[in-house]
Amino acid sequence: MPDGESAGGAPASYLFEFRGKGSEYFRIWIVNLALTIITLGVFSAWAKVRTKRYFNGSTFIGDHAFDYHASPLRILVGRTIALALFIAYEVSAAVDPRYALLSLLLIGFAFPWLVNASLRFNARYTSYRNVRFNFTGRYFEAMIAYVIWPIAGFSTLGLLLPAARRARDYFYTNNHTYGGRPFRTEFSAGRVYGLVAIAIGVFILAAAAVFAVVFGTEWLIVNKLLHGHYDPKYSITAVSVATGCFYFLFMSFAPALHTMIVNLCVSNTIFDGRHKLKSRMSPIVVAWITVTNAILTLLTLGFFYPWAKVRLARYEMSKLSLQADGDLDTYVSETLEGQSAVGEEIGSVFSFDFGL
Amino acid sequence: MIDGRYFLPHSARFIAARAELMDGKTLRVCGTDGSVLAEAPFRKVKISSRLGNIARRLTFADGAVFETYDNDGVDDMLAEARRFFHEGWVDRLERSWRTVVVSVLLAGAVGAAFFVWGLPAIALQLALHTPADVAKLMSDQTMSAIDSAYLKRSKLSPTEQKKAQVLFGRVASHAPRGENGYRLLIRGGGPLKANAFALPDGRVVMTDELWALVKNDDEIEGVFAHEISHVDRAHGLQRVYEASLIPAVIAVVTGDLSQVSQLSVLLPAILVQSAYSRQNEEEADDDAVEILKRMGAKPARFADLLARLNAKNCGKKDCEPGWISDHPETEVRIEHLRAAEGKK
Ligand SMILES: [Zn+2]
Repeated sequence: MPDGESAGGAPASYLFEFRGKGSEYFRIWIVNLALTIITLGVFSAWAKVRTKRYFNGSTFIGDHAFDYHASPLRILVGRTIALALFIAYEVSAAVDPRYALLSLLLIGFAFPWLVNASLRFNARYTSYRNVRFNFTGRYFEAMIAYVIWPIAGFSTLGLLLPAARRARDYFYTNNHTYGGRPFRTEFSAGRVYGLVAIAIGVFILAAAAVFAVVFGTEWLIVNKLLHGHYDPKYSITAVSVATGCFYFLFMSFAPALHTMIVNLCVSNTIFDGRHKLKSRMSPIVVAWITVTNAILTLLTLGFFYPWAKVRLARYEMSKLSLQADGDLDTYVSETLEGQSAVGEEIGSVFSFDFGL
Repeated sequence: MIDGRYFLPHSARFIAARAELMDGKTLRVCGTDGSVLAEAPFRKVKISSRLGNIARRLTFADGAVFETYDNDGVDDMLAEARRFFHEGWVDRLERSWRTVVVSVLLAGAVGAAFFVWGLPAIALQLALHTPADVAKLMSDQTMSAIDSAYLKRSKLSPTEQKKAQVLFGRVASHAPRGENGYRLLIRGGGPLKANAFALPDGRVVMTDELWALVKNDDEIEGVFAHEISHVDRAHGLQRVYEASLIPAVIAVVTGDLSQVSQLSVLLPAILVQSAYSRQNEEEADDDAVEILKRMGAKPARFADLLARLNAKNCGKKDCEPGWISDHPETEVRIEHLRAAEGKK
């Protein structure tokens, strides 16, 4: 039998690439949205799977795309269960507010389990080259990463938030497997603090620069060129230009910092002890794409959304790469012990990506 | 005959291959050298539905997969075997420009209807069911923010303040919550100038500058009645809920939180700037007319004050922000109020 690709065990570099197109995704998105509206939400499960399949199927490493295998029917069942629980909660809360409190407590305890179920659902139904991913997070790990650390972070007025972020990234990355082989990331919390310090520093400098440039220019025009005397009342134009710039800075901060931390986490990730991942996204470019996407989506009353998603995915994937040390075709799907049916369906509901 | 790649069962190892449908029943996958890699009854092979230009997956019972980008080829096979086109209709709708245009119109219409009718209705229900102590908390915060940022101490004499309070009490006693349900605060307007506004918990703020414009008791009673109606109908809370619901709606529709976190920074800022809706104003004016009539006061006097305010604020070249700019289409409202006077 002739072998497909790499014959030897030589190191090879694979680039990630997103080959989806905005116009193609727009048609899928709008038609599925319309079908969801017509069916009063029932079709949303199919829409979700089609969207996920389109994005996975358009994401390539080398010459192979990812795939997504979840069954829309199970997602529909999961959503129905969630809706039933929500109605039960509303009714019981109307009967006696104490039930509502009890339910909230239950949800609190169920939250780590929901995080795991959701990540596991997503991983198990994602494949690359016919081999499945998996997620192995345990209840208490999720509790620590998603409940204890954030509480510690906020109760110290954000001082521990960078450490909490690292704990979450560890939980997410180190519990993922592909073909039963682990992903491992390792980086010090000090580096996260360093990135946060850089982000805050740049933010303050940029804000000062905006202030100086906008009001300095105005002062120059008003003072030197037009009147010959200085009027301390800034014009509406200067104030609105400055406000616009500050808004831009505020909106850029989170995506830029997020990008730097993702770069750090991904670039320190090793799969199966030998294949290295690398991410070289520019925080400034990601911030620019995110902010302009938000503005354009708003200006087009939402219709730019598909292009926005594709545009971001294209950039992110173009900066990801995999340094493979040896063959990638030796991997085989592990035999997975079944997750309980209800667990799996509930897991499908909260499939907002909790991830990086 | 379609070209593709054959993946061994559950494995990442693949072989360049070709698939062929034999006499409409059997699917056979061969290597490029002609050796048979897999053979199975076509109806037992799981075939993924067509979607955009992504790869099609033909999965055998043993976990082997034949993967191909020849979507038309697979569709031909399905047709030849008379197999049901699994989700094929969705793909055809996605590829037809006609359904795309129809979908855009449908989504646009439903979206617009939702934002025009659905969202205000939901926000109103939430607003009407907001517990009194929550409304008080929100009002406390709003009031202390406005007080420190804009408002000054009132410079009205104690006698005049007393008079304003008496007039306000008279109006309040004719309103649903009664005299103790509302409270009048008098402040120097500062940049807010001649102005009056209501807080969700029943506090109504009036500025010295507005009081200075009043020539007749009925006039200011009209303003009080109008603001009290905003309280009773929870218009303020309704706007707050509208602003905070929009990001939640976007999250549900797109299933995507990252976009929302960006939009949610922009949206409240835009909405808070926007005025009460015209419908809210009409309701408040109608209520005011009702209350004034019950009190035996003349609604047309309220219209006189509006006209005077309008002339003062907009007489100059640029219309300065104030009570008027918060209340759209003043001329229409003045007409409306004067007409209401005539009706019984
Ligand atoms: Zn009003």
